[in-house]
Amino acid sequence: MDVLVQIIASGLTLGAMYAISTIGLALVYGSLNMLNMAHGALLALGGYICLYVMTVLGLPALAGVAAAMIVCGLAGLVIYHLAARPMLASRNFETQIFIATIGIGAVLENVILRLFGPQPVAQPLNLGGALVIGNVHIPAQNILILAVAVLLMAAVAYLLNRTRMGRAIRATAQNRDAAQLMGIRVGRVYAQVLAISGGLAAVSGIMISSLSGLLPNMGGDPMLKAFVICVVAGLGNVYGAVASAIVLGLLESGIQYVFGVQYSFAILLVLVIAVLIWRPAGLFGKTQVVRL
Amino acid sequence: MSAALELHGVSSGYGHHLVIRDVSLTLEDGKLAALIGPNGHGKTTLLRTISGLVRARQGRITLGGRSIEALRPDEIVAAGIIHVPQGDLLFPDMTVLENLRMGAYLPDAAPLEAQRLEEVFALLPKLKERRSQVASTLSGGERRMVGIGRGLMAGGRILMLDEPSLGLAPIVIDQIYAVISSLRASGRTILIVEENATRIAEYADALHLLDNGAFAWSGTGAELLSAPEILATYLGG
Repeated sequence: MDVLVQIIASGLTLGAMYAISTIGLALVYGSLNMLNMAHGALLALGGYICLYVMTVLGLPALAGVAAAMIVCGLAGLVIYHLAARPMLASRNFETQIFIATIGIGAVLENVILRLFGPQPVAQPLNLGGALVIGNVHIPAQNILILAVAVLLMAAVAYLLNRTRMGRAIRATAQNRDAAQLMGIRVGRVYAQVLAISGGLAAVSGIMISSLSGLLPNMGGDPMLKAFVICVVAGLGNVYGAVASAIVLGLLESGIQYVFGVQYSFAILLVLVIAVLIWRPAGLFGKTQVVRL
Repeated sequence: MSAALELHGVSSGYGHHLVIRDVSLTLEDGKLAALIGPNGHGKTTLLRTISGLVRARQGRITLGGRSIEALRPDEIVAAGIIHVPQGDLLFPDMTVLENLRMGAYLPDAAPLEAQRLEEVFALLPKLKERRSQVASTLSGGERRMVGIGRGLMAGGRILMLDEPSLGLAPIVIDQIYAVISSLRASGRTILIVEENATRIAEYADALHLLDNGAFAWSGTGAELLSAPEILATYLGG
């Protein structure tokens, strides 16, 4: 029983962490049909900005998080204006932006490598301590991650459903032409979505690095998992992505306990393949074909 | 007083292919003009050019004397041209009510949302019944009604309807025409694309026959009905 609680607690933390980074990817894919391969580099950038603000500048954790969100949000804007916007009119936009963002990600990772070096560093934003109930031992950092993730998911849901900006984002994602005919400036929506996605990536990067440490290429694995979650949910489906992230987080933590850490990603991928054979458009996806 | 909508020598198309060639058109306030002609001859492209979804390569488009051909689609909507596109283009995951409310997205239309919603429900009572239903689950006729209602929510000076009766059952087509008729009676300025030339001829102040991207014939409904050679050559009737 204690073990089960432990597995669920760590699975929820993993799932919440994945969900935050997946929401950003799903929003961007949903509105622009753009797979942002620089997402992993944005996770690392967020983690390192927080580190820099807290250790070099000596500012409190909240300032670190805010600075990371602002810098990564701006990086999202730069990606839109530098890469996405000039390619939008192209027939092969999906392929071109996929390749372009791989390049942007590589540049960004190497800039981080040059500035901060290749050695792993601990993320200073870490609560330490743990909540102990009986034999169950839950690190305080996990509780913080879960709380922040729930807060951010609620904020995204509020933004999408209750604000004018959110209505414009949903409309653009559901039908770009129709959105323009409603008077929505879709270029601005795209820029907003990439900025929001960057801000979420920053928080996600800080969370991930607080558990596993900072490395310039730390974003690769989480990005891969986020893509896997996106595909399982059905590309572009934000709520499906949250649900899938949490389910996969729980599964991963269960698999890690039963079979060992080294098998968790492999078994996860086998399950994903099975899901995609069963439902090619993803669990929550519409029957649409994504050409890539 | 300048005409509501004027096109002077407009050409447009996709890639290297010109679909519209040197088209000129004048639409006065309160009038209904129809674009007729066979499929694939540029009727839809002409509407998309006016609303800015397709860029005009040449020529001028003016709304109340103001040039609009270089504006973005969202700016053209804000200027007062409302385009109800072919195939409805609803927001599939939104409810009927959310779709209608999207029509009043622009800041100018937002304060009038409640009032316009009442007007749309009065004109299209079926939408009031269906207001909580998700758009993707509606029937074809209902979707068409939502598309028209969403356009009306925006207000605007000119309403462009692209084949509102396409692919619908005869009884639903009658309902759509009843709506067109009452919009016309209320003094709306309308530019409509319609395959069924003889039917729209009853309502239109002017008809323009688009053949291979250019106007081959223009005239009134009565003139069309008494021009058997036009009907036979272009309209299969």
